[in-house]
Amino acid sequence: MKVRDIMTKDLTAVEKDISVRELIFILNNAEMPNVPVVDEDGKLIGFISEKDLIRAALPGYFEMLHSTSFIPDMNQLSRKLTSISNEPIERFIQKNVMSVTEDDDDLQAADLIIRKGVKNVPVVDANGRLVGRVRRIDLLRHLL
Amino acid sequence: MIVTVTLNPAVDKMYWVEALKICDTTQEEFLTRAIRSSTSAGGKGVNVSVLLSRLGMDNVAMGFVGGHTGHVVVRDLRDEGVTTNFVWTHGETRANVTLLQIGREHSPNLINEAGPNILPEEVDRLMRRYKRILGRATWIVLGGSLPPGVDPGIYGEMAQMAKDAGAKVILSAGGEALSRALEACPYIVKPDTREHLTLEGKGLTTVDAIIEAGRHVVACGAEIVIISHDVTGDIAITKDDVWEIEAKVSTSKFKNLVGADDVFLGGILFKLAQDAPLDESLRFGLAAGLASAESDEKICRDLAVIEEGMKSITVTRL
Repeated sequence: MKVRDIMTKDLTAVEKDISVRELIFILNNAEMPNVPVVDEDGKLIGFISEKDLIRAALPGYFEMLHSTSFIPDMNQLSRKLTSISNEPIERFIQKNVMSVTEDDDDLQAADLIIRKGVKNVPVVDANGRLVGRVRRIDLLRHLL
Repeated sequence: MIVTVTLNPAVDKMYWVEALKICDTTQEEFLTRAIRSSTSAGGKGVNVSVLLSRLGMDNVAMGFVGGHTGHVVVRDLRDEGVTTNFVWTHGETRANVTLLQIGREHSPNLINEAGPNILPEEVDRLMRRYKRILGRATWIVLGGSLPPGVDPGIYGEMAQMAKDAGAKVILSAGGEALSRALEACPYIVKPDTREHLTLEGKGLTTVDAIIEAGRHVVACGAEIVIISHDVTGDIAITKDDVWEIEAKVSTSKFKNLVGADDVFLGGILFKLAQDAPLDESLRFGLAAGLASAESDEKICRDLAVIEEGMKSITVTRL
């Protein structure tokens, strides 16, 4: 099967200049754990997830600790998140984004999802413009 | 690429009942049990999108959605194979209820909600997304009522942007939203006459009045104006011609008129997008609308049934 046969045809995406607060609203309401970032022509330029926002709200030394037990309370996280809530999302975006095209084999999308552990993979056309995404659940429901 | 815009989509909830009981005293309570019911995504552009997808034509549906009912709309469209591109809002997408009495399906009772209040920043978000997709669009369908909070000039602005980007615009709306969009000279105008049988202040009660009103809109810059004058008949006015489209079918065969008018428009677009001539597109459109009205489903899915239905439709130049 090709990616076009299993993908979710949805163009939900954000621009890099929207605020963190706006992004949280979109992720929450669209019930998406992450969302592609596109430019003015709809070309995929990055990706941003809940995880990226949590990372942005954590203290800088957190990556070295490997445990949340060093965070004294949730207020610290809340204060940091509030302080960046009106900032553009641009500096939190993952710019090295993996994607597939509609004509790729479904195995290619499966490889990215399984091997890289991502929840979904953006699908782009020949011009790099977003046309949908392959979710983990898309793979599972088509395998059954 | 075909893009439909439905700013005020809905969940269409339909109930078929033996008899509709209305409680008219405070002492009495009536329970009406539905024999059958259905739930589907609705709204003018949404219905056009579903028809096109069922006929195998890729398209994108966009607009505002929110809350639980918003998810119902998006999920239903995805299941139909439509590409979704909606902006999420704070409010809840509306639900429209249709009550159909068995044997009198040609006279449905409709209860339509106004829709959620849309915030200015949500309109901005939609316009950015709309601008982004225009570079890929060949046809834009702007359809239906506007939710509270949206400026009536929005269809005019969107139509002008589409024209500037080289896309043809089909506008199906009523009231001020329609009037203000005429300045942008849409390619096709289909006035929504469900509530008021008027167009630009002119009554639409006779064929002559319909033609006069249509010519006025064509003079404003529209290429084609299509106005319904009967459930089974429409008039199309262009700069050079006036066409009457009529079907020889009994309205007693109708099972469900919800969305039939949108399917009519979607059928016309289906053909025009394949470069078919206008008269053939009009025949196909009405056949699709009637096939939907005669089927249990809101929107027909059988191309062969539509093509067979075209035999009972005449298109006459007046």
